[in-house]
Amino acid sequence: MATFVDRYPEEAAVVRATFVVAFVSLGIGAFFGLIQALHRTGYVRILDSVDYYTILTGHGVLLALVFTIFFLLGLFTWAVARSLERPLPDIRLTWAWFGLTTTGATLVAVAILAGLIPSLGVSADVLYTFYAPLQAHPLFYAGLTMFIVGTWMAGADWFLAYRAWRADNPDDRIPLQTFMVLTTMLMWYLSTIGVAVSAVFFLLPWSFGIVETVNPLLTRTLFWFFGHPVVYFWLMPAYLLWYTVLPKLAGGRLFSDPLARVVFVLFLLLSTPVGIHHQYLDPGISEGFKFIAMTNTMFLLLPSLLTAFTVVASMEHGARQRGGEGYFKWLGALPWRDPAFTGMALAGLMFAAGGFSGMINAGMNINYLIHNTLWVPGHFHMTVGTAVALTMMAGSYWLVPQLTGKRLYSRPIGLLQVVLWFVGMVFMSNAMHRAGLAGVPRRTAEPQYQSFDFSTALGSVGELQAQIAFGGFLLFVSVVLFLFNILLSSFETPMESPVDDSLPAPLSGAEGSPLVLDDLRLWTGIAIVLVILAYTLPLGSIVTDAGLFGDSPGFPVLIDAVAMLKEVVA
Amino acid sequence: MSIETTREHPERGDDPDDRPPGYVVGSGPDDVERELSHDEFDPIGTLGIILVYFVILAVMWAFMYFVEFLGRGITVVG
Amino acid sequence: MEIHAYEKFWLAAALLLIVGLIATVSYGAVGAGIEMIGDEGGTVDPEALDDHPKFGDPGVYESGEDEYDVYVVAEQFAFRPGTSDPIEVPANSTVTFHVTSADVIHGFEVVGTNANTMAIPGQVATFTVEVDGPRDYGILCNEYCGSAHHAMEGTMEVVPEDEYDGPEGGD
Ligand code: HEM
Ligand SMILES: [Cu+2]
Ligand SMILES: [Cu+2]
Repeated sequence: MATFVDRYPEEAAVVRATFVVAFVSLGIGAFFGLIQALHRTGYVRILDSVDYYTILTGHGVLLALVFTIFFLLGLFTWAVARSLERPLPDIRLTWAWFGLTTTGATLVAVAILAGLIPSLGVSADVLYTFYAPLQAHPLFYAGLTMFIVGTWMAGADWFLAYRAWRADNPDDRIPLQTFMVLTTMLMWYLSTIGVAVSAVFFLLPWSFGIVETVNPLLTRTLFWFFGHPVVYFWLMPAYLLWYTVLPKLAGGRLFSDPLARVVFVLFLLLSTPVGIHHQYLDPGISEGFKFIAMTNTMFLLLPSLLTAFTVVASMEHGARQRGGEGYFKWLGALPWRDPAFTGMALAGLMFAAGGFSGMINAGMNINYLIHNTLWVPGHFHMTVGTAVALTMMAGSYWLVPQLTGKRLYSRPIGLLQVVLWFVGMVFMSNAMHRAGLAGVPRRTAEPQYQSFDFSTALGSVGELQAQIAFGGFLLFVSVVLFLFNILLSSFETPMESPVDDSLPAPLSGAEGSPLVLDDLRLWTGIAIVLVILAYTLPLGSIVTDAGLFGDSPGFPVLIDAVAMLKEVVA
Repeated sequence: MSIETTREHPERGDDPDDRPPGYVVGSGPDDVERELSHDEFDPIGTLGIILVYFVILAVMWAFMYFVEFLGRGITVVG
Repeated sequence: MEIHAYEKFWLAAALLLIVGLIATVSYGAVGAGIEMIGDEGGTVDPEALDDHPKFGDPGVYESGEDEYDVYVVAEQFAFRPGTSDPIEVPANSTVTFHVTSADVIHGFEVVGTNANTMAIPGQVATFTVEVDGPRDYGILCNEYCGSAHHAMEGTMEVVPEDEYDGPEGGD
């Protein structure tokens, strides 16, 4: 018996490399998160508030884009090779996309962090949404473009592997994990068009001074064309693990393979024509388009609600196979001492709560209540910051041994780590939601104002700040434990079976399900039509309003910030 | 086949570190006492959990919408 | 393909939930009369706000009996009016805000209320609210707009009708 690294040594090397990039970003990003949590709340301010935004840009980019997506690149490579039971077609292509994405991400990180050293004259304090006309150094947009192109190449790599498999297996159903990878990548190709057009046609030429102005609403809309689907790009690796690995960790089997396919198809169809729900409070987009985005968004709840059922049912199956009884008593029969299981289960639980605050965000008019307040980071630290990030960390305890052939250094530390993350996030995220309801804004170094105070319905602002700082501290400790555990694991001696890596077949398999589910061309076609329907008119009217290139000159973020501050204070 | 139908267990006896059984990450299936097929399994607990979730969502949504949101002072009416 | 009866039941319940959410939001729009920021505000040239009939001299304008228009320019890192002098309107009146930006994207949030919008250069965010009794409100910028974003704040004062000495905008 051998594990992944023995069967696919070359692929395992690439996956290890992507994980290294992901974990380094996680470490730096979490440190920045701690700085933010302490700075905003006024407990510790080691930096000037002007530099807060450099740190915040780094936090958003390193965690939401680099950590999550590099983990995805590795996970999908693993999933494709193991589920097709063949190596990737050409490992040079695989290393090429690794090289391109890593170079791109490094350039972006350099452009951001250079902002801490003013003498370099480079700054990209534009946050991870880079709304024009705030203008970053061209390096930022160029690195971002390279990174995106690299992910496209990775997708091509997986599609080529699939094509080669198909030639040998003309009549088989697409293996489930590969199906998940391919549908996710189709969604990604469709949605990254928005950010690619924005960066290549508008922002890069403008940052180089080739064109003078931008249309801020156009680039913002193109960003959100990509910005909502990217949420699902983060989430799909977590779903892949919940559907195909979590049932096994629980001692059971996936409840239904066909329903998993339906869910991924729904994400391909509905992820993109909803981006305007991030622009409910934008002038220049009519209420009708916002209403359409709202209804699409609500229907996008469906695949996640179905997932909740299937995943919990798969766990229940495991618990009952392990001897669990009763209506709810079976919960005790789950393998709670396994950090991979417990981490993913807690991540799923937090996702259920994050789903609720997401419904509020999505609710068009109720969005007035929480728009751009701290509620919103409260929400996405439950979703991407826990459902995704904690699933990835927990999954690593099971995956990394397969990539190295070495056992995990410590299972109890792993268990402590995932529980600590959950507890830390309960404190931080709950307090962020409540602070948001009091009107406390997000993305603000010092949300303490001179002419008014915030008032909370229950508790006090001071208590909320204490919870945010404390939660942030626990989260940071959790990341340190995680990195330490993974690092020490790499010094273990290789062994035959470092982990139980088998995956049982689903209870209800793909065999009887309609063949049309696997018709990727059909679903892509429908997805494109939906996007055209949702976006043609709004984009048309935005361009008619102010032209393709608009009237806004650039406002480089480098302008002498200190001088500006003095002006304001004076 | 993407997913193996057979379940293989790592041989625990010759484990170099003598880790106790079940210590390996992913060893949840080791303690399986019985195999339940699709027809033998009714996810009744799941149904219960998910219905509780449904009720929580519905009640909190109504509270947030009608009390927190519509109950606020200044609201955009035109 | 076997789909368990419970799963079919949950599918129906999930659809019911979704329809219920959409119905609530629609009720808010139609029944409670809450309108979204839309495209009625039209566009302006962000580079030429000074030449604009209203944004050239932003402030409060009377538009009818108990009805006021408030023109606000958001710019790095102040609201005009709002920051140096408060926005002043009488109690129990209908106030229509017109908010735009002179430079980058900002936010305009009347703290603790549902009056909240983005201020995007080139676009005018127009929305109407009813104000009741006298009270002071804080205003803050809730979109990152540059290095002193956290210093961008202002106030709105709703004063008793008999103490209100007329709109300050225009001349
Ligand atoms: C050590 C753990 C973490 C801590 C203490 C932390 C803390 C924070 C805080 C306090 C903010 C709000 C800053 C503000 O709006 O002023 C923030 C923003 C954010 N965090 Fe985290 N966070 C952590 C982990 C994560 C993870 C794992 C992710 C995603 C995978 C993440 C993604 C984000 C994003 C996207 C933002 C918004 C950035 C923006 O507004 O531009 N964070 N974080
Ligand atoms: Cu979204
Ligand atoms: Cu601002």
